[in-house]
Amino acid sequence: MIFIRLASATLRAQARYRASLLVDALSALAGNGLEFVALALTFDRFGSLAGWSMGQVAFLWGLTEIAFGSMDMLFGGFDPAVFGQHIRRGTLDMYLLRPVNLIAQIFASDIMLRRLGRIAQGALVFAYANHVLALAWTPAKLLYLPVVLVSAVLFYGALFIAGATASFWTVQGLEVVNVFTYGGTALNSYPLPIFDRWLRRFFTFVIPTAVVVYYPALYFFDLPDPLGLPGWVSFLAPAVGLGALGMSLLVFKWGLRHYTSTGA
Amino acid sequence: MNAYLALARASLARQFRYRGANLAGLITNFFFGVIRVSVMVALYNANPAAAPAGYDLAKAVTYLACAQAIIGWVALWGWWDLVRALKGGEVVADLQRPIDFFGLWAAQDFGRAIAQLFLRAIPIMLAFALVYPLVGPADIGQLLIFILSFALAWFLSFTWRFLFSILGFWVTDGTGFARLAIFSATFFTGFLMPLSLFPDALAGVLRWLPFAGMVATPLDVFSNALRGPEALVAVAVQAFWALALYALAQATFTAGVRRLTTQGG
Repeated sequence: MIFIRLASATLRAQARYRASLLVDALSALAGNGLEFVALALTFDRFGSLAGWSMGQVAFLWGLTEIAFGSMDMLFGGFDPAVFGQHIRRGTLDMYLLRPVNLIAQIFASDIMLRRLGRIAQGALVFAYANHVLALAWTPAKLLYLPVVLVSAVLFYGALFIAGATASFWTVQGLEVVNVFTYGGTALNSYPLPIFDRWLRRFFTFVIPTAVVVYYPALYFFDLPDPLGLPGWVSFLAPAVGLGALGMSLLVFKWGLRHYTSTGA
Repeated sequence: MNAYLALARASLARQFRYRGANLAGLITNFFFGVIRVSVMVALYNANPAAAPAGYDLAKAVTYLACAQAIIGWVALWGWWDLVRALKGGEVVADLQRPIDFFGLWAAQDFGRAIAQLFLRAIPIMLAFALVYPLVGPADIGQLLIFILSFALAWFLSFTWRFLFSILGFWVTDGTGFARLAIFSATFFTGFLMPLSLFPDALAGVLRWLPFAGMVATPLDVFSNALRGPEALVAVAVQAFWALALYALAQATFTAGVRRLTTQGG
């Protein structure tokens, strides 16, 4: 399949620069890891966050980071900052001229192995959470965990694709979408009740990042929603993930029809 | 001197051109600040007595608001100008100018920082002041110490960025070094959480390192966490590291230029 050949070319190119790849992955691991350490050190002084223990927050943090890191690696070509450059420099035209599906090409264009650093960081924090929480893992929960993870990856990916779509019009990468992509993720790393009502509502009903991480976490902890939403909201993650991805791809295709090259 | 002023002015004017990017940056910085302040408020609500004596929520919130405001001023995240100039070879043109290389880049960066003061720092502080109760320097003396500390923070950050960027004299692509330098230093600058809330032993060590002077020191002076003699000591530490890093930067530069071979073409 042509997609696999394109993707493996991208990967082999990075594997050539082994030292550079290692430094980059380690930087991401250390950088994101120290961010967690800063939170843990401060948390330690106060002892809880809206009734959540450090282990529970680590669970949210780890899950979010694994999902976002994986998404960033797989959907990197749609990163609005990267995609905006394709439009500005006219390299998108090169893709369009090839007799290969455009979306497959963009997927294959920017699979960054250095993102493994961030994924490893998330995995470490998640392992720490499981170590201190001693959760009662039932078979149902164990089955649902990977579903949640994939749903979150798809959902974050949809945000990237939606952000990339905006650059068909703005030409410049639209930096405001960082608020929804990186901001929405940062928000997922903490229990939802600590945020103001307008923020909670926005990230539950408009851009439902809370539905893909926070609500499933409530199910894993056997906690009722302090904000009063019914228990089945915890199981909406796959529908929201798939739905968001499908919608973003439709919008992307529609945007593509309105694309005019910069002529660069 | 006139050359430096002209460089700074041109660089300042350039910043004002990117209206869309500036507004987007402003919104992003503010939003991340809201997330971090929300975490802080929830921590204090959980156990107000756990905070160190005299370090109340208003100080912590002010610290975090200032941390978002200072991003554009110190540019510790996402400053690739010199890394790129070295990688691309444009640096050759700079080296041929009859002007000190460090000074040339410092002047340009100072213009950039001044622009960011008006485009980012002040608007963000105003936005936070509308939403949260903030504190400011308690008296005129404290304000003067803050201004000094704030200026030193820029110089320290620039010298540090200059240092890790010119490692590019030794490798073809300095991006990896730069990324490592940025990622690892963030924690030590106190950007993520107020140093006062870290365990005392750790905070004590961090305050003597050069990184605290790039972010934490001016923030602690602004929010009155460091006062009087304590504030002056912290500023003296900043000044010491400013001189030390400057000397190191010049020495590294001299050694680097001797090794420099740019790729032709």
